[in-house]
Amino acid sequence: MSEFTASETPESIAPPPAGFSFENVKRNAAISASGTTGAYTQAKAMKTGTTIVGTIFKGGVVLGADTRATGDTTVCDKNCEKIHYMAPNIYCCGAGTAADTEKTTELIASQLELLRMSTKTQSRIVTACTLLKRMLFRYQGHVSAALVLGGCDINGPHVYQIYPHGSTGKLPYTTMGSGSLAAMSVFESEWKEDMTEDEAKGLVERAITAGIFNDLGSGSNCDTCVIRMDGSIQMNRGALKENPVEPLRDAIKRSDRFNFPRGTTAVLSTEFVAHKTKGLSLDDVDVVTMDTN
Amino acid sequence: MSILEYNGAAIIAMAGKNCVGIAADTRLGVQAQTVACDFKKVFKMGDKLFVGLAGLASDVQTLDQLLTFRKNLYELKEEREMKPKVFSAMLSSILYEKRFGPYFAEPVVAGLDDDGKPFLSAMDLIGAPVYTDDFVVSGTCTGNLYGMCETLYKPDLEPDDLFETLAQALLASVDRDALSGWGGVVHIITKEGVTSRELKGRQD
Amino acid sequence: MIILPNIEGDSAYSFSLTTFSRTGKLLQIEYALNAVSNGRLSLGIATSDGVVIATDKKVSSPLIDVDNVGKISEIEKGMGFVYSGLGPDARVVVRDARKKAKSYKLMYGEEKTVTEVVKSTASLMQQYTQSGGVRPFGCSILAAGLDENNTPLLYQVDPSGVFMGWRATAIGKGYVSAKGFLEKRWNEDMGIEDGIHTALLTMREGFEGEITGKNIEVGVLRKDTGEFKVLTEEEVQDYLNESS
Repeated sequence: MSEFTASETPESIAPPPAGFSFENVKRNAAISASGTTGAYTQAKAMKTGTTIVGTIFKGGVVLGADTRATGDTTVCDKNCEKIHYMAPNIYCCGAGTAADTEKTTELIASQLELLRMSTKTQSRIVTACTLLKRMLFRYQGHVSAALVLGGCDINGPHVYQIYPHGSTGKLPYTTMGSGSLAAMSVFESEWKEDMTEDEAKGLVERAITAGIFNDLGSGSNCDTCVIRMDGSIQMNRGALKENPVEPLRDAIKRSDRFNFPRGTTAVLSTEFVAHKTKGLSLDDVDVVTMDTN
Repeated sequence: MSILEYNGAAIIAMAGKNCVGIAADTRLGVQAQTVACDFKKVFKMGDKLFVGLAGLASDVQTLDQLLTFRKNLYELKEEREMKPKVFSAMLSSILYEKRFGPYFAEPVVAGLDDDGKPFLSAMDLIGAPVYTDDFVVSGTCTGNLYGMCETLYKPDLEPDDLFETLAQALLASVDRDALSGWGGVVHIITKEGVTSRELKGRQD
Repeated sequence: MIILPNIEGDSAYSFSLTTFSRTGKLLQIEYALNAVSNGRLSLGIATSDGVVIATDKKVSSPLIDVDNVGKISEIEKGMGFVYSGLGPDARVVVRDARKKAKSYKLMYGEEKTVTEVVKSTASLMQQYTQSGGVRPFGCSILAAGLDENNTPLLYQVDPSGVFMGWRATAIGKGYVSAKGFLEKRWNEDMGIEDGIHTALLTMREGFEGEITGKNIEVGVLRKDTGEFKVLTEEEVQDYLNESS
């Protein structure tokens, strides 16, 4: 009989392997141990540096973030997005390793949508928070995402903070990232209960600005996102632009030495390859109606 | 020293007016010793799509093969060309899948999308994407490259001027980096085709 | 010591149940198609500015809570499935399609096109005709979606793994006459509103009993918004009132 039987889960209908691949781990460990002049240092991933904040107000939640991404001490991105979409009524600010915040929020947003499709109900902030903390706890802090999660559901406006190891807190206002201390100093001195939307937005902008100017890991612009109880969202990319690049670039009196006339660079060879044409299309021929008589 | 600096590299991608360019040096070294000066770091992925890979040479080549394979598979399956945006997202996913045992390469993607607009993106070795509309850099002298690009970049350069700008930014940057240089290549991608030029660079 | 052969509990049943008959037919697949044509009628119409899919959701007893019966499912933004045949089987197909659409989005950063969703659904169905320990799905699917150029498309997927594109088609009980009806009604420059009315008209043909917003379900994909929506009972009723 054995030649007619399949293994317990037929391979053809088993799901493809999901999650992280550890294929290169051993090799990479061998590489880092093999340095002739001492071990190779860990390759550095891009960080967000970051000041991110969130607060509730009378009719909803305001989230805020700066827009600087750094690799070591170099600014890699002057205008990155740190307020990530989770659900139509939930957004999430991310600090820490850029790839981790990006992909973790993307993955959980995707799970939330599947959940919404099967339950036909609105996503709740607790659900998003639980999915995120479970994921982060599973990886014991190695997925280094520090998050400020905010949104409105049937239970009202909520703000959660989530640490990379998976611990969470439900708070009326919170800050995360390297600029969290600067931002918190603003919150602690000015925050009050039942603020109006404009008050909350102003407070968030001031808190982020404190991070941008006092924390080296944070910089460029301030993004805010308002999520209201009526379900409307206001995403303000560049709500505050206190460090615009354009005027600085325009102010440069560009020396003519920087305008290279064509032919400046010594070239050894030049080759031009035209794009392949994709065959004929209907545009290339005259279409004549067929004689059907 | 980081393993990303083992072989040396310098790559820039820059947007022009309805065109985009990507430039790279051609040195392959084993730390301070130069092994080859015709090493390929920029790969043509489609008619209007290039990827530059800076980092450990073996991973550069492995990723090139993997990306070519995945892109061909996509195009056969879906019977359509892969757009730069989609390619960039796929590359990011491929890199992040190996979050805890990454390929030691930092990619730069340059292409023209369907309506001829430039597309630029760069990533760290675990796939955190950066999208810009002016220029992106990668390699062992990013500081130099950023400096040169910030000074020389002008918006809306014509293809020929974009070439000069890219070439000069690259050559000046690698002259102050011991690990990269020894010649360079610049590809300028336009609606009509791709112009590839080999640069005469210092051999020290 | 006696070493027993390692026979797992159900290994005796894990061989393929779908095998060729001597005449070259796969009877299990034909039986699956019978399960589909015994199922409630579903139909779809692709028009110039959208796709409409509709289904009969009559229930066997007046005691059943009809509000909880949903035969049309959104797969991702701008795409919907409707089935005829075994509901529980269709649920597996829908869950698989949703999950694969989501992982496609995570991999490529853009929505999976309806053609790709249909291809993977068809390949799932094919795998269940050739694997050990499983039986083919007892349902056919109609899929509504837009392609990359925003052209409205309608597909059908069968338990055999066959899939094909249609301008308008029907599956389930009475599909032959419904298709005949659609063939006469469909034309090139039909709009989505025409499509919805034609769908309801076709449903009404050969419908046992009175057709209401309660016993049929309609899903509409509009090209301009790019969104797929299942109409509410009231909306369906309004369309029905308009046409009668």
